[in-house]
Amino acid sequence: MPRIAYPEPILRLISGLKSLPGVGPRSAERIAVWMLGGGKEKADAIAQAITEAREGIARCEECGFFLLQENPCPLCSDPERQGDTICVVEQPTDILPIERTGAFTGLYHALGGRLSPLDNVTPQDLRISPLISRVQKRRVSEVILALGSDVEGEATAHYLAGIFREKEGLQVTRLAQGLPAGGGLEHADELTLLRALDGRRGMG
Amino acid sequence: MLHSLQLRDFRCFGQTSLHLDGKDAVFIGQNAQGKTSILESICVLLRLQSPRAGTLREMVSFESNEGFFIGGNWSDRQLNFGYGRRLKKLSVDGSTTRKTSDYLGRSGHVVWMGNGDLQLINGRGEGRRRYLDFIGSQIFPDYLSALRCYERATRARNNLLKNMPVPWAQVDAYTLLLVQHGEVLLRRRTELVTLLQPWVADAGSSLSRSTETASIAYQPKAVLGTLARALEESREADARRGQTIVGPHRDELALEIDGHPAGTFGSEGQQRTFALALKLAQARLLAERDDAEKPILLIDDIFGELDVTRRNALLAYLPEDSQKLITTTHLDWAEMERIECDIYDVKAGQLSRHQAS
Ligand SMILES: [Zn+2]
Repeated sequence: MPRIAYPEPILRLISGLKSLPGVGPRSAERIAVWMLGGGKEKADAIAQAITEAREGIARCEECGFFLLQENPCPLCSDPERQGDTICVVEQPTDILPIERTGAFTGLYHALGGRLSPLDNVTPQDLRISPLISRVQKRRVSEVILALGSDVEGEATAHYLAGIFREKEGLQVTRLAQGLPAGGGLEHADELTLLRALDGRRGMG
Repeated sequence: MLHSLQLRDFRCFGQTSLHLDGKDAVFIGQNAQGKTSILESICVLLRLQSPRAGTLREMVSFESNEGFFIGGNWSDRQLNFGYGRRLKKLSVDGSTTRKTSDYLGRSGHVVWMGNGDLQLINGRGEGRRRYLDFIGSQIFPDYLSALRCYERATRARNNLLKNMPVPWAQVDAYTLLLVQHGEVLLRRRTELVTLLQPWVADAGSSLSRSTETASIAYQPKAVLGTLARALEESREADARRGQTIVGPHRDELALEIDGHPAGTFGSEGQQRTFALALKLAQARLLAERDDAEKPILLIDDIFGELDVTRRNALLAYLPEDSQKLITTTHLDWAEMERIECDIYDVKAGQLSRHQAS
């Protein structure tokens, strides 16, 4: 027996919204209905912003952060930054919280994720080869691993430490414990990050 | 003490509430009417896991595809656990706790006794490890997170070992995690078995009223401090089998009656007694450790199976001021001289005060 249901395009919109991080089925439905009614104009603006961001924004070849045009990004091309220290993070978004502490003056490198065999994420899926070539090219003396403190983050840190172990004159360190467990850096407040950065230790 | 319980869409229960006021209670019902689910919901509320096998998802009632809610007034605080398809929500006294460990740290201790306990004696090692893990997570603050990390790292490592050629650089990264978290488990399990052993012996002799000695011994595949070396030595074998063959996930808890393995040597009566002794030891250990709050005892459908002597011995050995919630199919066994409690009928997911016939 046919029952009343949303037309196809609305269902597609709902299922698209539902696939966004942090959006459940109920909210997806509510947002979709809003976009078709009271929020129509805002929805158009959002649609346009998404297209522009997708098409106009590139990634810095060096650190992986978002940029508009010039490559490398302003931070990577800043002569004042210490080129012999690289801080490795999982996501480009992790760069901002560390930058806000003002305590780090080196360069960054976003991997674009972390190793996870259970989710089929291998070293080839991450920006690990670019990291190795940056380290070789620039006589880097310290690589700081600022990765999540959950199983995947820790495993990625051990993996990278293993890769750089044989390299002479290079020290691999990691942030001190005390960061929120099971997550990236976005939940850490400034003071915690500052302490974690100050208390960084060498990896065996 | 559990003062009240609220359920929504948990297994066969729609909207249900129960006022216990910290007292003991007996739930009478035929099979599949929901009496075990009441006890299970309390275990899930307090420990966020079921004593029965299965996932939280399976506990959502058939009528609801969204999720379930369990709330309860434990001691002086209100614990709420909402489980949905996408998120879990935990709160204590109305304020949300993000970390599971914070919630569990303010929750209560649980002992579950059921018919499945016999498998602790004659079943696979996995059940005995789960017995240790369930107690370990309740008394050591670092146990559960070490266990979860160890399990996840082991799954990832096994997954990598199935590749040809084996990506050793990645495997080795996980080996370090196995050592880090595995050593925590080894130390805690060693400690735990030492704490449990005297209670097991004592409970065993109280229950059997004999000279038999029940004893337990922790038998790890690699003992404390040697896990790194053991994993190093088993590299080849791990690669051949495509899985990690040493470590706490392969540990044994040996159970013996007068020096003989209980699983193969003991009679069924002896095995039942041993299974009870393990749970009573858990109850006494939890009760003696924590002066402020006694564990709650969830006793599922075992009284009908015990003879009078064992039943009385069991009741006598339970920690005195612990709250006991008991399910049964009939009250024939109960002279009730030892239990002052409320009695409920459970029928088709409905709770009502028992009408004496
Ligand atoms: Zn850059």
